[in-house]
Amino acid sequence: MKKVLAGFAASTLAAAIASPAFAADPVRIGAATYGLQGEFMQLWSNALEDHPAVKSGDVEVTVFDGRYDALVQSNQFDSMITRQYDAILFVPIDADACVGPVIQATAAGIPVVGSNTRCNSDQLASFVGSDDVLAGQMVAEEVIDKIGGNGKVVVIEGPIGQSAQVDRAEGIDSVLAEHPGIEVLERRTANWSRAEALSLMENWLTSHQDEIDGVIAQNDEMAIGAIQAIQASGRSLDDIAVAGVDGITDALKAVQQGQMATILQDAAAQAQGALDVALARLGKADALPLSETWTTYPDLAWNDGQDDTYNIPWTVVTNDNVESLLAQRQQ
Amino acid sequence: MPQPTSLISSDPAPKDNAHRSLATFMSDYGIVVAFIVLCAVLSVVSPYFLGVNNLLNVLRQVSINGVLAIGMTFVILTRGIDLSVGSVMAFAAMVAASFAGTSAGYPLILPILLGLGAGLALGCVNGVMVARFAIPPFVMTLGMLSMARGLTYIYSDGMPISSLSSSFLWLGQGMVAGIPVPVLLFAMVFALAWFTLRYTAFGRYVYAVGGNPAASRLSGIDVRRITFAVYAISGILCGLAGLMIAARTSAALPQAGVAYELDAIAAVVIGGTSLAGGKGRIVGTLFGVLIIGVINNGLDLLGVSSFYQQLVKGAIIVVAVMLDRSRLSNA
Repeated sequence: MKKVLAGFAASTLAAAIASPAFAADPVRIGAATYGLQGEFMQLWSNALEDHPAVKSGDVEVTVFDGRYDALVQSNQFDSMITRQYDAILFVPIDADACVGPVIQATAAGIPVVGSNTRCNSDQLASFVGSDDVLAGQMVAEEVIDKIGGNGKVVVIEGPIGQSAQVDRAEGIDSVLAEHPGIEVLERRTANWSRAEALSLMENWLTSHQDEIDGVIAQNDEMAIGAIQAIQASGRSLDDIAVAGVDGITDALKAVQQGQMATILQDAAAQAQGALDVALARLGKADALPLSETWTTYPDLAWNDGQDDTYNIPWTVVTNDNVESLLAQRQQ
Repeated sequence: MPQPTSLISSDPAPKDNAHRSLATFMSDYGIVVAFIVLCAVLSVVSPYFLGVNNLLNVLRQVSINGVLAIGMTFVILTRGIDLSVGSVMAFAAMVAASFAGTSAGYPLILPILLGLGAGLALGCVNGVMVARFAIPPFVMTLGMLSMARGLTYIYSDGMPISSLSSSFLWLGQGMVAGIPVPVLLFAMVFALAWFTLRYTAFGRYVYAVGGNPAASRLSGIDVRRITFAVYAISGILCGLAGLMIAARTSAALPQAGVAYELDAIAAVVIGGTSLAGGKGRIVGTLFGVLIIGVINNGLDLLGVSSFYQQLVKGAIIVVAVMLDRSRLSNA
């Protein structure tokens, strides 16, 4: 919450300082996040405020905390429409509940660029995010490769029904279907929570004793909870392969210690890339794209910001790149 | 000061009574019977349930909710409610963790005192507002639920604090003589609470204030002071729970403890403490906590979906209150 206000104040301040150099008013962008409680959305919003156009004062960004509630997000859209923002970056909590707000904003002439989470609307100006189905495939492959294609695994899922859970589960299932040698012992939700996954894994280690060869977790928090349960039970992480998704700081540290694998979702590229696309759609495209997103991922074609979908690639975190990723995080 | 014993509507230590019927036996010890039946069923259907390691797991898993539920029992005995326990716990965890980092190098006592102090401080705010300014407990602690969560985000900037020192982690992961430290902490808090409610004047006043506040006031009990004290007790126990959860999950997470008040209240209610105040026993709360823990653990061992766990837990709460009602009407 402080972050939002501070960010707002900082960007307003930056605009005030920089404005003499620019005759035009700054472009006003509203960023509707599903909620600022997790580390990922914090990284996403911070990256937005570090975007070159925001720092230069050409763009003024206001971040909204959707508090994990589709209704709150809908209300925030109403205010953004009333206050006539130039464009909206949208990270919806639900892929279907987001459709209404997008229609309203579009009808009011405000382009909406989706980021990070999906929205099942054909009226989105564009989508800049990462493919969660692919993430599911990658996390399952990490575990299955490590245990040599044969063995028994458990799957820890996000809150059932959330789009990230649904998509990652689809990816995991598609990989499991190709590996008849893999048996799924258990499959349960731990609601993205480390504490919940910790208790769940303790109980599974009791009911399955030494049978579990791998843990496929749909996010890093839950993977870390599983690791703590495995360690507490006196078992070795050399015997159980664990993998998660997102690349949160604690997971990067765990990769460094050889405890797990994770695939990094690039919050900064998603946020800054989405802002670039929004600016392109507003015709402020003279010097675009401004952010490093497009140089970091040279295979990601910019196409003047006119594509429907920009899939920011996932990065498998290994011993080779973990040091530099952690160093970026410290900044 | 006059002895308030006559005001106590339900003696916390029932004397030998010749004409006790089976019905009163069941309502006094029904919770114990229910617990034993539950354990017997689980030990038949799951071969792992009665294992020493599993029982230690159950105790470790319930210890955090147990500590919160004990504070909640004091509050509910005075006809109050504390909805803020999960948020206050998260705040205390964050404050403690910020002084428990490996690099900080403070002695272990500092994060412990600051964590307990943070919980106590917010508990005292609840206590003053309820006791002194007559804000209804539901409203005050609902407000605190939100305020403490806000403070947690402000203090942490929404980011988790990890890399905690190994001496601090011992509070959640250590063992003494084969027993997990959190279980010992829970046992100590339980023993202290049991002794306080049963053998001290303060304990009797807590029952008296909840049973009949007006009569208590007339008989010279400082009702405000007792009311203030129960919220302070709940607060400091939230502080302790905060230390335990941060140490158990190796990190203070800003979203920790969401909805924990519901499990704490459920444990107290299942344990037979009346929401109308003045009636109930800390032993009942202990069994309420254990029943919730055993259900979660047992259904995990059996591989039952978490959807059913929630259904079962909810049904047990309703049945417990039905028993409570029938006891009130029999009295």
